[in-house]
Amino acid sequence: MKIKTLAWSTFGSFLHNRLIFVLLIICVGVVLIMLTPLLGIKAMASAQGATQTQMMVLQLVAAIMGFVSGFGSLLAAWAAADSVGSEIASGTILAVMARPVRRWEFLVGKFCGVMLLMAVYVLMMFGLSYLLAWIGGERIQSTRWVLLVYPMVRYAIYAAIGVALVPVFRPIATMGFVALLALSADLASSPNFGQRWEMVRQLMHALYWILPSTDLLSETRFLELTQASLKQAGWAEHLTTIAYGLDYALVCLVLAMWSFHYRSLKRD
Amino acid sequence: MATPAIEFRNVAKVYRRRLTGQEVPALNGVSFEVSRGEVCAFLGPNGAGKTTSISILMGFLYADFGEIRVLDCEPGDIRAKAQIGFLPENFAFYKYLNAEKLLRFHFELAGGAAGESTGVIAELLRRVKLESYEKLNIGKYSRGMVQRLGLAQALLRDPDLLVLDEPTSGLDPSGRKEVRDLMFSLKALGKTIFLSSHLLSEVEQICDRVIIIDRGRLVRAGRMQELLREGDQVEIVADRLPQELEASVVEAGGAIERGTQSVRITVATAQKRELAERLWAAGCDVISITPARSSLEEVYMKLVGDGAASGSPGLPV
Repeated sequence: MKIKTLAWSTFGSFLHNRLIFVLLIICVGVVLIMLTPLLGIKAMASAQGATQTQMMVLQLVAAIMGFVSGFGSLLAAWAAADSVGSEIASGTILAVMARPVRRWEFLVGKFCGVMLLMAVYVLMMFGLSYLLAWIGGERIQSTRWVLLVYPMVRYAIYAAIGVALVPVFRPIATMGFVALLALSADLASSPNFGQRWEMVRQLMHALYWILPSTDLLSETRFLELTQASLKQAGWAEHLTTIAYGLDYALVCLVLAMWSFHYRSLKRD
Repeated sequence: MATPAIEFRNVAKVYRRRLTGQEVPALNGVSFEVSRGEVCAFLGPNGAGKTTSISILMGFLYADFGEIRVLDCEPGDIRAKAQIGFLPENFAFYKYLNAEKLLRFHFELAGGAAGESTGVIAELLRRVKLESYEKLNIGKYSRGMVQRLGLAQALLRDPDLLVLDEPTSGLDPSGRKEVRDLMFSLKALGKTIFLSSHLLSEVEQICDRVIIIDRGRLVRAGRMQELLREGDQVEIVADRLPQELEASVVEAGGAIERGTQSVRITVATAQKRELAERLWAAGCDVISITPARSSLEEVYMKLVGDGAASGSPGLPV
């Protein structure tokens, strides 16, 4: 009951957060800019070969969805960090924590509020992926629940990382840190990066296992619209991937609870 | 025998600066008790450690040393928090909510069922005179209205212990009187109130007990009446004061206040017997001899001194 109250209150605060609206407007703007060449290619379809046009369209659509999905990861981390950080900075946390609410309940309530926000974002992303596929003249072959659940699991990880970083960083620094993390994860999963130097290769190998969604939950696994990459995976593989993601998020959340338990609650 | 509502035993807290590692002591062996049903003032200059103590009491900060009990529980225990109403200094709020929604949010966090809140919230808003503004966004409230709303949220779920940090700050004189009356009514209901305030005249009217701290140390704790009578002067009321005695009273540093039918003479306790005997010898009628009652402000200034006027070196509280 308390967690539900905190979650809905957190979600409500996001709907009144101007910064989130500004970020979403920027995201929509970038998507619209990226749509321009897509529509241009479609318009020139008759002048080029059908296969070549289709390939260009699919590459652009994949790039757009990759951007939207990546932005979602940053949004999840920032929203999670800000939902707790802003309460501490403004002092609203004092009246809330004076209620019979345990510290972990507060944190889980905040996390659930962020996941409500991300659920709305994923629904929007879901709609966008179908729209882009339609514009590109393609059909999404992946099952629908994969397009909904995979991003949610991915965002759960980033939200949990955001919450875990609250005692250390301010929300904006958390966002920067998470962006760095995501970039490192991307590099770590790249087969060619740093292969020449043994130390870098070993570091990347270690990071591959430590950092989230280097491979299992990456965009290529659930968002790219090419025929080849959107293979229907078996149930066991899906469940293993989701379990990996949820486990990662849970570990981060438990770490966050542990550090938040010992944190001083006073205005910054 | 009922256990105290609040118990601090030898509590110490040191703040450590993150970058320099510098240690700033905020509390140093502070011990006091507040009995159930008492209205207790918690006084001290800025930076004395009041907010730190309250934060430890509420479980927001952890003490480095000492033992703290609140309503028979550890600080931060949800069984204790369920019975505490807390008004923080400079009450902060979600600006996008209105009073009704904010109170409903706190009501649900306090364990109340959503369906039960309507009547309780309406009654509380009426009590703090915000019933006409329940739909207005709190962001548009004046400082005084926010403070009233803070009091309303502290009173939700009828708490046994109220911890109020500067409850009258930002209020105009009539608002202060209303808060004072509210506290009198809560006192009559047997509620325990732990009140931090700089308005000593109000504290003097409301409180049964006073705890004064300065620079992280306990300076004095005791019942209000005892504290105000602890002075080293007595007040002698006589029907008249002969001229020859008047000169010697003034010379000895005493004060004379003439009324229509009596004279009030304040002298040092050591001179009490001599003056009374001289008055009797002069044929005067000595009506009463009582310890001179100081005002809380006088006692406070005497105990805390310059720290109150200039503020002690700012501690990060």
